[in-house]
Amino acid sequence: MPLDDAAAVAQARGGDQDAFRVLVDRHSRSIYRLAYRMTGKPEDAEDVVQETFVRAYRQLGRFESRSNFATWLYRIGFNCAIDYMRARPKRESSETHDVLDQMTHETSAPSMDDLVYAGEIGERVQAALNELSAQERAAFLMRHYQGCSIEEICKALDLKSNAAKHSIFRAVKKMRVALKPLMHARLERV
Amino acid sequence: MTNWHPTEDDLILHFYGEGRENEGRVDDHVHACPQCQEVWDDLTETLKMVDAAQVPEPDSGFERVIWARVSRELPDRRPAPGWISSWSVRQWLPVTGLATAVLAIIGASYMSWARPVVITPELPRQGAVTTRTPPADPAAANAKARERVLLTALSSHFQQTEMLLVEVLNAPASANEFAFERTSADDLVSSGRLYRVTAEQNGDRHLAQMLEDIERVLVDIARGPNQPGATDMKNLRTRIDNNGLLFKVRAVTNEIRQRQQTLNSASTN
Repeated sequence: MPLDDAAAVAQARGGDQDAFRVLVDRHSRSIYRLAYRMTGKPEDAEDVVQETFVRAYRQLGRFESRSNFATWLYRIGFNCAIDYMRARPKRESSETHDVLDQMTHETSAPSMDDLVYAGEIGERVQAALNELSAQERAAFLMRHYQGCSIEEICKALDLKSNAAKHSIFRAVKKMRVALKPLMHARLERV
Repeated sequence: MTNWHPTEDDLILHFYGEGRENEGRVDDHVHACPQCQEVWDDLTETLKMVDAAQVPEPDSGFERVIWARVSRELPDRRPAPGWISSWSVRQWLPVTGLATAVLAIIGASYMSWARPVVITPELPRQGAVTTRTPPADPAAANAKARERVLLTALSSHFQQTEMLLVEVLNAPASANEFAFERTSADDLVSSGRLYRVTAEQNGDRHLAQMLEDIERVLVDIARGPNQPGATDMKNLRTRIDNNGLLFKVRAVTNEIRQRQQTLNSASTN
């Protein structure tokens, strides 16, 4: 019978690395998705996944057993991704602008199906995410994809409530601007 | 109908169920006001579209690859290196020698930068250089050469920093002899300051901030006792861990490597 998270954590705390591997196998893909959305690059996302688990292993002693391991891990993952992005000299912003501009010019009202299947929505969303600061990106992703409350976001990212809200506001507004051309395509189809 | 209209921020909070006291009011208003209804529809459609964006799934062997990478880094699995023996003076000397030489070059570059010649610190973006035409502008060629030297020096600096941090993280609970690490940290503080000033002058705030974060820990190591006790070592490790310093150093080293590759490929194309 497979170990549940709580049992795996308890054994890993005692130095059982096989038990920790159970946690890595179980959660690495979801952390990868988070990391990919944060960093926008597969290789960077893998680095963040690796660091997230290494940091989690080192901090297992701080994990409260009544908490949800996945939530705790997500929090570490977001902070790892923020650290990674802040450490990385900012150079891709202008490239992302170019990508968004290019996409905007290229959008000549293709069908929604075409857009979905071509993965353009994904690319455009990712390009828009790349335009956000690390903090805005993390706050938005935590709220939108993980369903975290403002309070949880504040705790995880060490932000005040207003700062967390404004990060989300800015993120959504930038997302609306970036996705506007696709919205038009969608409305024309409807 | 009242004159009140929810702001876009109100609508965003409402979408996420965070509007609290305004929830009912916003909901009623949006249903009654065509103008706000339009904004609301646009907002909800946009956010639905965000949901539709898929992340490319990694390969089937992803978990195995990640475990291989993670397990190498777990403290227990890593063979505990001797405090000093694993990085002997013989191994450090060439590195230090190289760093000194590079520092001299950087010093010269720095002095040159201090002159009123505008140097573009940013690398050309990938693919920006596609032909092999020799640079017409000697200033641009000089800037590239300086940048190449700076990147080499920075790469060496961060690699040495990483080695030192790994040593501290893997050291015994209380180190018997810390003099060598203190000296190394002291050297890194000196060179790091020079790079930080250069980064600040070139407007690279991220790099400057990162060098400052590292410097604080290096100063602690350099000014710490020659035979740190368990508490000293624990405090040092906690600072390195809590700031994610090793991870940041690795990230920036990778980034520098990529920038070097970009620069090299631009030169060879």
